[in-house]
Amino acid sequence: MRWLQFFRRVNSMDAQAARKLMDGFAGAEFNLIDVRQPKEYKAGHLPGAQLIPLGDLEKRSTELDPNLPTLVY
Amino acid sequence: MLTGMGFKKVINMAGGIKAWNGNQAVGPEDTGLYLFTGAETLPQVLIVAYSLEKGLQDFYVSMTEQVSGVKARNLFDNLARIETNHQKRLLSEYRKETGTNPSKGDFEQTHVVRAMEGGLTTEEYLKLYQLDKENETEVISMAMAIEAQALDLYQRTADRSSAEDIRLALMQIADEERAHLKQLASLLE
Repeated sequence: MRWLQFFRRVNSMDAQAARKLMDGFAGAEFNLIDVRQPKEYKAGHLPGAQLIPLGDLEKRSTELDPNLPTLVY
Repeated sequence: MLTGMGFKKVINMAGGIKAWNGNQAVGPEDTGLYLFTGAETLPQVLIVAYSLEKGLQDFYVSMTEQVSGVKARNLFDNLARIETNHQKRLLSEYRKETGTNPSKGDFEQTHVVRAMEGGLTTEEYLKLYQLDKENETEVISMAMAIEAQALDLYQRTADRSSAEDIRLALMQIADEERAHLKQLASLLE
């Protein structure tokens, strides 16, 4: 168990601020992760979002660059 | 969880998808990915992207012939022009990459395949968005939805690409789709 994860701060922002942030990333790389289930992703997701259901996140985190800003929903 | 795994900057979008009031893409993770096998060279990726832009441009041009109002016709004309400009950029990139100089006509005749931006067919888009072709807001909203779908396809393909040059090219195209979205959004203001 990685206890440290429970003590690190995660920034939270509302959808409007997230949108502004992503607009500001134009030309730069960032991770955009949809942690819901495939059925929910299929019904509608943020354009460009990568589906990694929460239960798979630990296992599949190696697919992502940890140095990039990572927006999760 | 991600911060504990060494991710430097993690941001949670409060309210999730329900709070998101921008465009959404639909479909499973592999929507449209049949268009990219993953074995393409960079020029081949540019050909597929060009074909997708051309498909959408043809769609807008066909719409200009189907609408009766001048305003709607002008709008479809404008949308077709946006796609034409994007095609120009992709063709120029193709010429640079291959060191060849085909004319637009030759390039299209030799390479372009019938496809629609975002990976869905024209019929699928029309069915999906139930478009009132004379309604300006609806037309722009549908165009934005298609651009969102295209952005999603390019980004997902980039995420799966292991070749750096192809990944960067796809990300640039995805960024251009983001710019199109902004351009279209400004038409609604």
